[in-house]
Amino acid sequence: MSRATPPVIACQNVWQVFGPNAKAALADALARSGGDPQAAAGLLGAAGLIPAVQDATFEVGEGELFVIMGLSGSGKSTLVRCIAQLLEGTSGEISIEGENVVGAGKQRLTRLRREKMGMVFQHFGLFPHMTVAENVAYPLRVQGVDRKRRRARAQEVITLVGLQGREGAYPRELSGGQRQRVGIARSLAVNPGIWFLDEPFSALDPLIRRQLQDEFLNIQGKLRKSIIFITHDIAEALKLADRIAIMRDGRIVQIGTPTDIVLRPVDDYVREFSRDVPKGRHARVASVMQPTDRCRPGPDDPGLRQGMTLDVALARCMDLYEPVPVWDDRGACVGAVNPADLAAALQVEDT
Amino acid sequence: MTAAHGRPARAMAAPGVRAALVALLAGALCLALAPRFAWLGQWPDAWTLPLTQWAGTAVTWLLEAIKPLAREFSALMRHPMDWANLALHATPWPITIGVTAALGWYLGGFAMAALGAVGLGFVVASGYWTESMNTLALVAVSVPLALVVGGAIGILANEMPRLKPPVQALLDVMQTVPTFAYLTPLMLLFGFGPVVGLIASAIYAAPPMARNVLLALERVDPEIREAAVMSGATRAQQLFQVEIPSGASQIMVGVNQCLMAALSMVIIAAVIGGFNDIGWEVLLTMRKAQFGQSLLAGLVIVVFAVVIDRYSGTLAGERRRHDRRVVYLLLALSVVLTALFWSSLADAATFHVLTPVAEAVDRSLTAFTIANGATLDAIKNNAMFFGLLPLRIGLDQAVLPFTWGFAWTGTMSWALFAVAAVLCLLLIWRGRPAAGLMAMIAAGMLETGIADLPWPFVLIGTAALGWVAAGWRLALLSLVLLSSILLSGLFGRALMSLYLSGAAVFACALVGGAVGWLAAVSPLAWRLVRPLCDMLQTIPLFVFLIPVLMFFQIGEFSAFLAICAYAVVPMIRYTRHGLVSTPPDLIEAAAASGATDAQIMRDIRVPYAAPTILLGLNQTILYAFAMLVIAALIGTTGLGQSIYLALGQADVGLGVSAGAAMAILALLADRIVQGFAAERRRALGL
Repeated sequence: MSRATPPVIACQNVWQVFGPNAKAALADALARSGGDPQAAAGLLGAAGLIPAVQDATFEVGEGELFVIMGLSGSGKSTLVRCIAQLLEGTSGEISIEGENVVGAGKQRLTRLRREKMGMVFQHFGLFPHMTVAENVAYPLRVQGVDRKRRRARAQEVITLVGLQGREGAYPRELSGGQRQRVGIARSLAVNPGIWFLDEPFSALDPLIRRQLQDEFLNIQGKLRKSIIFITHDIAEALKLADRIAIMRDGRIVQIGTPTDIVLRPVDDYVREFSRDVPKGRHARVASVMQPTDRCRPGPDDPGLRQGMTLDVALARCMDLYEPVPVWDDRGACVGAVNPADLAAALQVEDT
Repeated sequence: MTAAHGRPARAMAAPGVRAALVALLAGALCLALAPRFAWLGQWPDAWTLPLTQWAGTAVTWLLEAIKPLAREFSALMRHPMDWANLALHATPWPITIGVTAALGWYLGGFAMAALGAVGLGFVVASGYWTESMNTLALVAVSVPLALVVGGAIGILANEMPRLKPPVQALLDVMQTVPTFAYLTPLMLLFGFGPVVGLIASAIYAAPPMARNVLLALERVDPEIREAAVMSGATRAQQLFQVEIPSGASQIMVGVNQCLMAALSMVIIAAVIGGFNDIGWEVLLTMRKAQFGQSLLAGLVIVVFAVVIDRYSGTLAGERRRHDRRVVYLLLALSVVLTALFWSSLADAATFHVLTPVAEAVDRSLTAFTIANGATLDAIKNNAMFFGLLPLRIGLDQAVLPFTWGFAWTGTMSWALFAVAAVLCLLLIWRGRPAAGLMAMIAAGMLETGIADLPWPFVLIGTAALGWVAAGWRLALLSLVLLSSILLSGLFGRALMSLYLSGAAVFACALVGGAVGWLAAVSPLAWRLVRPLCDMLQTIPLFVFLIPVLMFFQIGEFSAFLAICAYAVVPMIRYTRHGLVSTPPDLIEAAAASGATDAQIMRDIRVPYAAPTILLGLNQTILYAFAMLVIAALIGTTGLGQSIYLALGQADVGLGVSAGAAMAILALLADRIVQGFAAERRRALGL
């Protein structure tokens, strides 16, 4: 999606290495391995350093919901902290809205955070000594916004996340789901364009999690932020993402749309993730569509669209054998789908 | 230690075994060669360097250099002290009680208000109001000083991670150097008078505040820290708006400890005299053997300690809101009562309600000691003859016809060693060579006596212990530090201190361990022991001397008892805590495997608690050293006495060196035990 708009966040060969003299060690390892990142990471590991993020390169477009998925210890949280400049990356370039932020001074970073970024944390990161309203208004308070205006803005976002009536409560008096709503509200207080969410729903019960996911999509539908969303849950990634990056042991192994990940995994590791995923619910008709010049709708045309999931499409053309045309939103024909291909795409691999 | 359970071949190569072997060889060599080379047994005086004099000269020079500044500061501090004095003395006592009760209500409701009112009521009745207010004035000025300095140190160490190790070391030194030791240089700096007590108590009370502030800041949830950063807060905003407030309860623990330390030190500082406070009163009555009065004054101190401790303790916990109106009511009530009875309001100093009680206590005590003198003497003598003396000078000198009824002979020595050797072989055969060698070493030490241990053995043995506990760095450190004591000529006294505190620590470990174990298995026992522990930990060091002195007079045994009473508490607490905090799934797994309660205790709970118990032992050792110096007041030999003497003679050199030697002993003991605790934790994967 939105490949046409310029990237809001761009990472170029970002490395985060933990250990003594990480910068020099990384440069040395890259030189010795001839620039091959995997070999360099091996050398660093052998030397007792931890290459937590290796050579990450990707872009996030305007209004895009970019999910980084990986198991614990895969470096996904480290990566998002590099981008948010909570950690100083060891090497690589990170630019936010076209300006390079690596090596930016303290004041500029503070300004950047006050104007452009919001972040939600896994364990909420709420200030225990402040009420809900004070927590939410804190990003405005540090900027010196006067009490009345920040009260009003806090009230707006508190209403947005559905917490009206709990403004005076302290975090310890709230349930987990409510706490994360506070976290979300606080991260939106300054109306930032870029939104980091670090496993925001992982610490919640499954039911609450689903509810918050739906509300999150709802909010994103209204606000259209540029988002980096971290999760270890493939179902969550597939449900929310415009595009997904899958990380393993500090490396990004695949970047693609949910359909790409489910239907065209690059290796066994990614395939393993998507094995239990009901493909029909995530893959779209567009992924199995072929170009065609025969666009005459038959009398029993099922009316397939690009954005339909495979499950829905298959249900509509169960008893058809001929290629079926696919229409876009304006009613123009964009291609055709062979029902047999639909069925084949849904086959669960036995490997 | 771990390898002790392994196969003999592997066990023989374990570090513990090698270290024990080295120490044993050193000891045996010394024992064998001592008759021929006298310098092996005792460090010859001719080999000592005049380190004490050098230290004296250096410190005196330094002190003279900063003296004008210090005097300036002293003059400056007089003002807040005068204000505090004026405020506390000019306020009619009913109002003081009313304010205290109102504060108590505000902090903790009825219980606290009652505690404050009853406590201060007791102080008024005791007739020690004036002295108490003098003490309180000192605390009131030194605590804010300590809070500001300690808080600043803590924040600074947190902001500059590079400063953390030196700051930690500084805090260690500030707390391990015995209290009396820095009274001497302070006296030279500030002259006689309350300012010395003020500064000493601020120095003593700042480290706990610094430690807790640092701990609070380090423990702030990283996500909370990051949330503040991502909110766009500047560093100062992060620190003062988020990190410090969210660590408030830990910081309040620091405030509580700071208050208690300040009170304790203000009372200790009374030994230099000159400010008519409650500590001085205790000392005076103790010297005149007026134990009833002494006890009364001691109780006044305890009352203050308890009130201050409980009041400030509520700050650290979660607080409920209490009706504000009661606060105003209490204040109004005290003002109205004072106004009504203004003309007939007696001066608090003239109350002597409890004096007859004190005198009665005194009389009955005298009667009791006369009536039971023989029994008390018997207790004391038996403990001395059969416990302390052999430990101090060894069986070969302690066993005399006068003490044990027979004389120790060479044959008996050989028999002792033979028994130890058999035990050693038996243990080696059971696959525990380290324990076997330790048995041999113990026999040797018992034969020689701790005070007469040959110096090469002490050095090598400590280094070996340090090596097993924490590697060669600690071994080297202990060699260097102990050599400095040796060179300064204080080694003999250091051994005396080591003997008395060692004996006390050993007794505390046994008794405290047993009580802690009992408290762990029986909730009823814990309910009985807990208030006692709370009480013993709140009482300032000084007060422990009164009861032991009452029954056992001046002497080593009294000092031993006082040290034990003070140092046993951490052992009890940590043992219990370690034993009850075994993860329940481990206990369930053991029970499901068919283990009996006793087996669960032996195989699961005790090993799991070992690191915690070791930390308790560590605390006990530090407590024992702290008390050892105070116990010098009632007659011990060794470093404590040197420090006390130095204070009397204003001998800075001796005071500083003996204080340093004391700190070295405490530091080494601390590092070694911590090393073992860390090793155990690693072995358990904690």
